[in-house]
Amino acid sequence: MLTYILRRLLLMIPTLLGITALVFFVMAMSPGGIGGAALAAAGGNVRGAEAARIRAYYEKRYHINRPLIVQYGRWLNEISPIGWREDDEGNFTTFGFKSPSLGESMERHRPVGDLIAESLPITLLLNFITIPIIYAIGVWTGIRAARHRGGAFDSIFGFTQLAAWSMPTVWLGVMLITFLASNQYLHLFPAAGLTEMNASQMQFLPAHVAGHWSRGWLADVCWHLIMPVICLSFGASAFLTKLVRGSVLENLGADYARTARAKGVAENVVLYRHVFRNSLIALITVAAAILPSLLAGSVIIETIFSIPGMGQLGVEGARFQDREVILAVTLIGGIITLVSMLLRDIFYVLADPRVSYD
Amino acid sequence: MENRFGLKDLFLFLLVCGLIVLVLLQMKQYDRQWQVVQQVRNQVGDQTSDLARIRRMLEQGAISGPNLATTRQSNLDVDKRVRRIHSAADFAPGDDVVDVLLAPPDKLTPLINTDLYSMQIQGYVLDTLIDRDPVTLGWVPRLATDWKISPDGLTIDFNLRQGVTFSDGQPLTADDVVYTIQLTQDEKIEAPAKRVYLSKLKSCEKTGDYSVRFVFKEPYYMAFEVVGGTQVMSKKFYSRYTPQQFNESTGLLIGSGPYRMADPTDWKPEPGRPIELVRNERYWGEPGGPNRLTWRIIALPAARMTALRNGEIDMFYHPAPDQFDVVKNDPELSKRYNTFAIDTLDGGYYYIGWNEKRHGKPTYFADVRVRRAMTMLIDRQRVIRDIIRGYATIATGPFNPLSPQSDPSVKPLPYDPEQAQKLLAEAGFTRKNNALFGPDGKQFTFEFMYPSTSDTSKRVATFIVDAMAQAGIVVRPAPTEWTVLLQRQKERDLDALFAGWGGGAVEDDPQQIFSSSAIAGVGDNYVQYSNPKVDAAIEAARSTVDEAKRMEIWHEIHRMLHEDQPYTFMLTDKELDAVDKRFKGVEPTKFGIVTLKNEWYVPRSMQKYHD
Amino acid sequence: MTEINVSMLTPPADPYPAPNAGYVVDAPVSFTRKVLRLTFERIGAQLGLAWIVLIMVLAVFAPLLANSHPLAMKSNGQWSSPLARALTPTDVTLLITFFAALILWRLKRIRRATRVWTFIGIVIVAAAVSYFTVKPPLVQVYDTYRNGLVSGEISKAIFVPIHYSPDDHQRDVEDARLKAPTLVHPMGTTADSADLASNMIYATRIAISIGFVATSVAIVMGVVMGGLMGYLGGWVDLIGMRLVEICESIPTLVLLLAFVSMFQNHPDQALYIMMVVIGALSSFSYAEFVRAEFLSLRDRDFVHAAQAGGLPLWSILFKHMLPNGMSPVIVNASFGVAGAILIETTLSFLGIGLQNESSWGSLLEQALGAGGNVFWWLAVYPGLAIFLTVLAYNLIGEALRDALDPRLNKMA
Repeated sequence: MLTYILRRLLLMIPTLLGITALVFFVMAMSPGGIGGAALAAAGGNVRGAEAARIRAYYEKRYHINRPLIVQYGRWLNEISPIGWREDDEGNFTTFGFKSPSLGESMERHRPVGDLIAESLPITLLLNFITIPIIYAIGVWTGIRAARHRGGAFDSIFGFTQLAAWSMPTVWLGVMLITFLASNQYLHLFPAAGLTEMNASQMQFLPAHVAGHWSRGWLADVCWHLIMPVICLSFGASAFLTKLVRGSVLENLGADYARTARAKGVAENVVLYRHVFRNSLIALITVAAAILPSLLAGSVIIETIFSIPGMGQLGVEGARFQDREVILAVTLIGGIITLVSMLLRDIFYVLADPRVSYD
Repeated sequence: MENRFGLKDLFLFLLVCGLIVLVLLQMKQYDRQWQVVQQVRNQVGDQTSDLARIRRMLEQGAISGPNLATTRQSNLDVDKRVRRIHSAADFAPGDDVVDVLLAPPDKLTPLINTDLYSMQIQGYVLDTLIDRDPVTLGWVPRLATDWKISPDGLTIDFNLRQGVTFSDGQPLTADDVVYTIQLTQDEKIEAPAKRVYLSKLKSCEKTGDYSVRFVFKEPYYMAFEVVGGTQVMSKKFYSRYTPQQFNESTGLLIGSGPYRMADPTDWKPEPGRPIELVRNERYWGEPGGPNRLTWRIIALPAARMTALRNGEIDMFYHPAPDQFDVVKNDPELSKRYNTFAIDTLDGGYYYIGWNEKRHGKPTYFADVRVRRAMTMLIDRQRVIRDIIRGYATIATGPFNPLSPQSDPSVKPLPYDPEQAQKLLAEAGFTRKNNALFGPDGKQFTFEFMYPSTSDTSKRVATFIVDAMAQAGIVVRPAPTEWTVLLQRQKERDLDALFAGWGGGAVEDDPQQIFSSSAIAGVGDNYVQYSNPKVDAAIEAARSTVDEAKRMEIWHEIHRMLHEDQPYTFMLTDKELDAVDKRFKGVEPTKFGIVTLKNEWYVPRSMQKYHD
Repeated sequence: MTEINVSMLTPPADPYPAPNAGYVVDAPVSFTRKVLRLTFERIGAQLGLAWIVLIMVLAVFAPLLANSHPLAMKSNGQWSSPLARALTPTDVTLLITFFAALILWRLKRIRRATRVWTFIGIVIVAAAVSYFTVKPPLVQVYDTYRNGLVSGEISKAIFVPIHYSPDDHQRDVEDARLKAPTLVHPMGTTADSADLASNMIYATRIAISIGFVATSVAIVMGVVMGGLMGYLGGWVDLIGMRLVEICESIPTLVLLLAFVSMFQNHPDQALYIMMVVIGALSSFSYAEFVRAEFLSLRDRDFVHAAQAGGLPLWSILFKHMLPNGMSPVIVNASFGVAGAILIETTLSFLGIGLQNESSWGSLLEQALGAGGNVFWWLAVYPGLAIFLTVLAYNLIGEALRDALDPRLNKMA
């Protein structure tokens, strides 16, 4: 088992290399090249020859005037823990262990590591709140539908499931904002952002501060996240319910279930003790596909609801052709995807004693 | 049953993880509280030492009443407006002005900042040698008490004010001025934009503890403005940092202005955290009205409106015209907020550039009659009415209407489609089946490029398409991504472009845009307009140091550009603001109102934020 | 016949679908016809098909439903038809295609193959001829009709039901922007002061073409890739699978944004470029199915026979193996069309994609105004249209899958 995990981890490296290289070269080939928009913005209000001089300065500083392979190689050197160390001028000094860094954003002139440290937790928070919810809804509804197959619940379920799965996330988000979060209709939820403006002054838990009730940071974030989570979980939970229902039904008709019933075991026990465990296998295999698609979905959600997460960072990086930001976002996105696939395979082993990789 | 890792173990595991996460979050919150406590402790420490010092000096008889007054007396030549406004009967210091920004500025450290918000904030913390009166536009002393310019314009001497200190108590001397210039010119510091302005400077030396001399390589009409507008940085404070640290810093801001940052070394652009400036107790001039200036960061326009409605922000700088109208017309909002639509010098202008040569051949726009006809086919007043809701003025040239460079006698070309058709017929165009055909027999159609991210541009483009269609000209709108747009500009590969040039300077240099020398290479004359008379005039103006004579030449250039219409100058935005009615002393000037918050005050009974 | 692997990335099949009347033994019917009949017996698929037929009709007849040009106009005593004169080659081709299909479908006497080839021939000829002969006026000013009616120059004008074209910005009206639905504009106006109903009708064309073109590209590319990988195996398979993994792990939106700048230089072809890119990115999932199919088919007798017979590679792959392995591809094609429409919606919403023509996604984006205002008609109508279209394709896909899988298990 350990060797299998190790082998998978090592196989991740060429895949990641491929992903980042592909994204890098696509970006380089688009008009403006690397850093095009960021440099344009850096010129500011200066014109003509001076602007050209400024652009030349930034080009030298960010090594944009070097060949593409060299730029990519430089980035690889930057992120690896073993490599050439760089001094202030950009020349290489000694070779050896060094601290990996993600570089500096061309558009914001800040270390990319800081930017990601600020935005990744938010995206992960959004997704990690969503996943238990969609699994809970999916499992409960799916089992209910399978148990009462053909009944009222099942037929209604069948149609609503497909409808929910067909719902465009964008439309759902816009409708929610229009009718539940605007001044013209109901204003139940905030329209945007992750926290209120005075979040840093708030206490962690709800409290009575200076004569009036303060929501507290935790409750405030949760309140802001309700609508984004609803949008994000809509489609995925519908998909999961269908999956659970199918899987449970298949197992309910299997031989071992029939045997258990013949032995006199109650239907409930058959369901929860025996069938459930085997149905989980299908759920787990699909888990690997869920996280990446949620990540992709959260990009849209972050844009609609103005949540400063990693999706927005990536979109901004792509807009400005900011080399370091795009590569860093791609790298992290790729790592998350591949790691979730590995986790899926590990859980597979845990859930199904018949499966072994050795 | 085997002891396998089963479902309930998974639940337990997740529960434990959740608990750990909660504990970590709690620790972070505690951390934040501790930081706030530290800040308070520092402030108290500062105040205690100040008090101790004053007490000692009083005991030693070093200072007494009359002496204090004289030091103040000598600074009566600055902050005149502030003094006048604060002499009102209901004046009371205190309260907080809560403004809103669309995005956090990347950096607040001077020299390396690039965006406008950071410049606004720095304006309250840093002082310059001289300043412009916001109404008369004349030069007034600030850190410099007086100055002398040599007859040939190459040498400028400044005498600095004595007794000025930075907010940490260190005195401000000529050393700091020289240090600032040196730092700007240092190649290792990431300030290329500021550096180019000093490219014509030969030397900057101190001629005494409180006097500085600047020498230029050649007569440069902006010499005085550039060096006088230097924001003086503290040598003692900034020389502690290496260039690398300086470049990577985000919030190293300390100065001698009326406000200061609570902690000059610690500021990071976090999305939720507002930017705060507190009163500088050691300020050498007239103290500002508000105790604090705050800027909240709200990215989404809808959220900004909500904040305004809830009273969470006190003012709204530069909203979109639609939003501004909402504030003006909403009964509840207009009761609480004063709205301003001011013509300012900061406003640049929007224009349509007509490219006169493409693929080596002259285009239809090379003919001046065609360009004039284009301008007359566009109802600019309607564009302003429909798209900017009326909050703009028609532009007639590259100079801001409020600037002395602009010739007030120049009136915009009228919206006259019939006259335009006559001009086009003169230029050899014929009309067949409602479509216009050029002198070479080809149909008159062109590509209209505009930045794809700007909503205003898109609406202007559709307006132009329809306006030209009325005249028989087929326009193909081409929304373009910013990088591609700049590339096509560089290669002069376009037909017509809708864009804008920013303002900000009282005196603007048209050489980069309209002179023939800027057609090739890296110049910005991408419409390839060439008029030798204009070239000569620009040259003359740039080397004329005498201001009155120079303005005459600018007026001449303005008239020539109006005749030639290399661009269709579209419009200049007004500055739109909404300010809470409790603020008094809000006087619109030619620079708007947002840099003058220290003039405002709130009567004691109406103050909202107390600390 | 063959085993079919159910994909996990699309709604999983119902193992016990509702029974229907397919048990009756009747005359031998072709496989295709049987599958189609089973699919469209279900009410969901019927509703889906009805909706899709509706939007296709709207797409074809768009200029006859919403147009600022009057159908017939009397001016200076002369009758004329500005609408007919303003038809574009696309309009004409679509109309001819529609009527040709209708007529040929009704003529059941002629052999099927002949009818299909005739149809294709007619479409190509119509497209070519109309491209060269149909010339709409170079300049179109919509205000002239309304102004003419007011001033009396035009004595009588007969309009089509919605008398606004999608790009009629109503310059003759003072402020027509973002107005709520009224009698004149039953769905309200857009941010460009154009009629929303008119824009919605013309946007059906974009929705339909995006779906079909993107999916066709995806299927063609996916089948070729998957076929080669599955049949040849070995290192071709190894490298191919790594490539597929790489392309699936890339955050698609970031990649699409990087591609977007390529649209900029060709704004007119932006639609087609986008469809091809979306198709290429979706082709990998099809490649995976086909590969799985081919891997299992590789050792079948008929494949060995074909190899022994010395048939060329492409013949073995596409004439012998592919018809047996197409089922998952067909099922997923329907879901793929729905997916492509959703992607286009998202892209338009983010401001990328089409700029000059309105699609449902870009209309939806106008619902949230800058000042915090919301315009419900721009949120409800375009969103509803997208939702119903996606739902329709998903219903058909579901029905197709149910028709294909268990039936064949029974028949095999």
